[in-house]
Amino acid sequence: MAILEARNIKKHFSGVTALAGTSLSCDKGKITGLLGANGSGKSTISKIITGVYSADSGDVFFEGQKVVFKNPLDAKKAGISMVFQNLSLAPDMKVWENIVLGMEKGKGIFLDNADARRISREILDRLYPKINIESKVSALSPGEKQIVEIAKALTVKPKVLILDEPTAALEQEQVRALFRYLNELRSQDIAMIFTSHRMNEVLELCDDIVVFRNGENVGKLDFSVDKKDPDRIVEMITGQKADQATRKVYHDLPDEDILEIKQFKYGNLLEASLKLRKHEILGIGGLAGQGQELLLNVIAGAVPDARATAVVDGKEVPLKSPKTAIRNGIVLVPGDRNLEGLFVDNSVYKNIRIPKLALKGQPLFTPDKKYREEAEEIVKRLNIVTSSIDNPVGNLSGGNAQKVVVGKWLPFDIKVLLLADPAKGVDVIAKRDMYELVSKMAEENDLGVIVYATDNDELISYCDRVLLMFEGRIVAELNKEEITDQNLVAKSMHMEPKEASV
Amino acid sequence: MGRTDKMNPLLAFWTKYQKQIIAALIILALFIIGEIATGHFLSIDQFFLTVKVAALVAMFGLCQMICAASGASGLDLSVGYVATIAAIFAARFMDGKNENMLVGLLVALAIGLVAGAVNGFFISYLRLPALIITLAVSNIIQGIINVYTAGAKIDGKPSPALVTIFAKMTGVFPNILIPLAVMAIIAMIIIYKTKWGQELLAVGSNETSAYLCGINVKRVRFTAYVVSGVLASFTGVALLAYMNMAFKDMGSTYVMPSIAAVVVGGVSMAGGDGNYIGVILGAIVLQTLTNLFYALGLGEAGKWVGIGVVLLAVLIAYVREKKKR
Amino acid sequence: MTETKKSPFLPKIGKLLKSPSFIVICILIVMLVITASLQPGFFKPNTINSNINSFAPLILLTMGQAIVIIAGGLDLSIGYATSMMVVILTNVMQKDKPESAIPAILLAFVACILVGTINGLCVGYLKLPPLIVTYATSYIWLGIGLFIAPSPKGTCIPWVRTFYTFSAIPNLPEGLKDLSKILAPGFWLIVIGCIVWGIVRRGRTGRYIYAVGSNRENAYASGINTSKTQLKAYILCALFAFLCALFYAAQNQSGDARMGNPLTLKSVAAAVIGGIALEGGKGSVYMGIVGAIIYSIVTKIIFFADISSSYQTLVAGIVVLLAVSASLIFKFIEKREKLKVVK
Repeated sequence: MAILEARNIKKHFSGVTALAGTSLSCDKGKITGLLGANGSGKSTISKIITGVYSADSGDVFFEGQKVVFKNPLDAKKAGISMVFQNLSLAPDMKVWENIVLGMEKGKGIFLDNADARRISREILDRLYPKINIESKVSALSPGEKQIVEIAKALTVKPKVLILDEPTAALEQEQVRALFRYLNELRSQDIAMIFTSHRMNEVLELCDDIVVFRNGENVGKLDFSVDKKDPDRIVEMITGQKADQATRKVYHDLPDEDILEIKQFKYGNLLEASLKLRKHEILGIGGLAGQGQELLLNVIAGAVPDARATAVVDGKEVPLKSPKTAIRNGIVLVPGDRNLEGLFVDNSVYKNIRIPKLALKGQPLFTPDKKYREEAEEIVKRLNIVTSSIDNPVGNLSGGNAQKVVVGKWLPFDIKVLLLADPAKGVDVIAKRDMYELVSKMAEENDLGVIVYATDNDELISYCDRVLLMFEGRIVAELNKEEITDQNLVAKSMHMEPKEASV
Repeated sequence: MGRTDKMNPLLAFWTKYQKQIIAALIILALFIIGEIATGHFLSIDQFFLTVKVAALVAMFGLCQMICAASGASGLDLSVGYVATIAAIFAARFMDGKNENMLVGLLVALAIGLVAGAVNGFFISYLRLPALIITLAVSNIIQGIINVYTAGAKIDGKPSPALVTIFAKMTGVFPNILIPLAVMAIIAMIIIYKTKWGQELLAVGSNETSAYLCGINVKRVRFTAYVVSGVLASFTGVALLAYMNMAFKDMGSTYVMPSIAAVVVGGVSMAGGDGNYIGVILGAIVLQTLTNLFYALGLGEAGKWVGIGVVLLAVLIAYVREKKKR
Repeated sequence: MTETKKSPFLPKIGKLLKSPSFIVICILIVMLVITASLQPGFFKPNTINSNINSFAPLILLTMGQAIVIIAGGLDLSIGYATSMMVVILTNVMQKDKPESAIPAILLAFVACILVGTINGLCVGYLKLPPLIVTYATSYIWLGIGLFIAPSPKGTCIPWVRTFYTFSAIPNLPEGLKDLSKILAPGFWLIVIGCIVWGIVRRGRTGRYIYAVGSNRENAYASGINTSKTQLKAYILCALFAFLCALFYAAQNQSGDARMGNPLTLKSVAAAVIGGIALEGGKGSVYMGIVGAIIYSIVTKIIFFADISSSYQTLVAGIVVLLAVSASLIFKFIEKREKLKVVK
């Protein structure tokens, strides 16, 4: 019998369906792999089980009892521990303090620090002994932080352990250590749910797998019965549409580079070089968080420490500030709309006007009349739905707000347009409108476009070429017809589909 | 498409200026309460007298507003002593003569420029907390004044023309309102109509967005503190004329009320906000409140409790409102 | 792990040299040496006694300030809150009525709890910006203080004066008398403060204060009641103001509603000098003591170096500016290590 079961869970986020009556269960002493593309609902269901979110409908059963947890700590005390993707560590505190944080045992009026140290040491000795429990968390590498986060979930011996992409930040050696430990836990009859994008890890570790697609549970493979067939799993993740979703028309590319980024190295975070042709839409893909956004920021001049240099339309440009980049025609539509792209409290008009300030030869007094006309035109051209251009941009829907972020660059002499996950939180129609606009701009205005998308569909439908990144490096390039869902998933997971198939 | 529902202009006016309207209504309410309680509170004379005293707080309030508008918990605690040292040197150079007025004024402004540049360098380029830096600079200037006054007497007088502008009355009308009005108009134009003003508000409302839009965030914030320093020294000259003399601690009592004026005027201390009219109204609210408490015989104690409670209420009301969004 | 076992000492020294506390303590030692060489009879009991007493108020308030800063807040009302409590103490007490000290101390203590609770509710629960909100409440404390004592007045009955000087106790045994000449009551108040914080630090609250200041959201995600933690931090801070108020009441024997004000910003500056970052979560309350001593001693040095006392504020300002800038060095080191640490 399953120790933990979630039945018919439904969850909507502001109109978008995250989970459409989805079920998930796991058994004692087994590791269940949970697979699916970004946004398929994997994280959401884990968070509903542990009380981060509450479900719209559906029930969670734990050891045969129906349970509803108020928060993750509640769930942890009951025996369901979750390791979060977004870390919950206090950076200024020591490792052992973090491991017991929220679960401290007292000894009289004091905390029992000796015991806390002992527990931490015990867990880490078995998990990854290299971490010194006395060092501060802020001094650890991302991988080590993730391990501390895992250790935190194990202070109270859990009956169920949910790991949400625990290996994303880990180095190879750390992954090995983690797997050894998870195997040990398995032999202690602990049930585990393991989420990962990396196919080989799932095949190696899991006893069975569940695949989610668009908020639905689309299938289960039990490896004691079924064959470990990566191609089949990729198919389950992407659905059958994989081959159909390819696009037929690509841009005619003149044999002329609009942009060249010379080889550069930024600490150990990023090392890359690339070329972009006129009219080309270049996609950047790969698993989330492999340095894609950082790369776009470097090109936009927002990471001066990287000391990168670009050649824009034959002219050498040091990428030392967004201002230089903008003046040379490189403009960025950042990934986090509200935090990086917009001035939420300000009006649509002001949001469109502000970037003008970076241009050379701005008059002392802002020519409001001229700019207002321009703004009206942008609103009209992009079909931005707003009561007036004086409406605060925070009142607009996600799609319309995103159009403002793109639209503010329209009056500029753009040579390279950078888009960081432009379709995040945008509905289907707005998404299509935007890509069509970008595609048209590329041809009509002679520009090159670089787009980082977490959704493979966008890369397939709109890009002429795709670069895949892994750990801050570009690891694969796909051209035109090669851009298929199968290829993208396989290459992102750093796995050749043909070699891996038996 | 586009503009479907045109907002009712009256409603639009209200949503845009509600905080200023509320401040104005509070002033009116305070005067009426005063009239009912004492019977001699609501009069033109009384009003102008209130505004006259509030004018200097409002001038210092402009410094605070500009620093606050630049974001990063901006404020300028050094305005009091910048004003004082500017006043001391202006008095010395003017020596009570009109022909020396320009020299005195320029010396004062130069002092403010240097002080502001020091503040701006540490706060903007080194990214250190404004609270500590402006306090330290304030101490340094106070120290310089102490050293100076230990060796030399503070003497000299403001030029008579300045006294006429800042201290005299024309009938019931205090002349200081004219320079204040000019300041307000210039400030509003600079903040809302010029490139620098736009950049300032952009940096304050979202630093990251502003940087990615190509604005030189550090330079803009630096200039905000320089402007604050220059304005503080100008206010110091006004204060000199107002008092008709300079003395050691003449500016320090204005620092805290000037911050309060910004808050009560509904201008966000979190940055990106720049409605100077609000600050002037805030200064008047505070001054009316003070007068009211004195008129009611509650004296200083009542005044401070009143100001504290009003500040707290304003904060709770406005911060709450922000969260709703 | 093996590495650390091989040479447990050397890496520790390297770490120590990089730690902010080490540098701050070095500065303190240098300052003490300079003062000792300038101040005649620095090691005489009387001098030590008077030095401790003149530093004590700032040290106490800096400790309180340090706690709220570590918890991710700030308290700009601490000075006026202190003077309000002094005013309550000295005005409830009546001359020739020793028993009146008890209601006085109790009332001041109630005021202390109120101060902490109101500040803590505003910052912790209403989530108002600490800087502005405690500035607003400071006016309320000032007003209440002025309401009780519009001009400095009040009295202090003899036995309460022990908070300032042990000579207030008539029949002190000889041995204790000598000791009390060196270790003034101000010292013992600081010791009490250290014990209070020492207990809290080792308990849940102390741990959570650091966690909340370090990263409020992550602390919340770990199941910590962040609002309650900040409330507790403000109440603790007010307790230190209460200790300081006892000292002042005994020292001045009258209450002035404005007397504590200059100490407010000094306490923030002293905490920063002690290596307590304004972003919260970093530093140690005990280092706040060191910061406060450094800040106070600057004045002393000027006094004894025969420089005109008019230079005091000037030098104090420059010291703050330099000390705060020095914190940049550690940020720089941190940033560089971060780039390196990623494989």
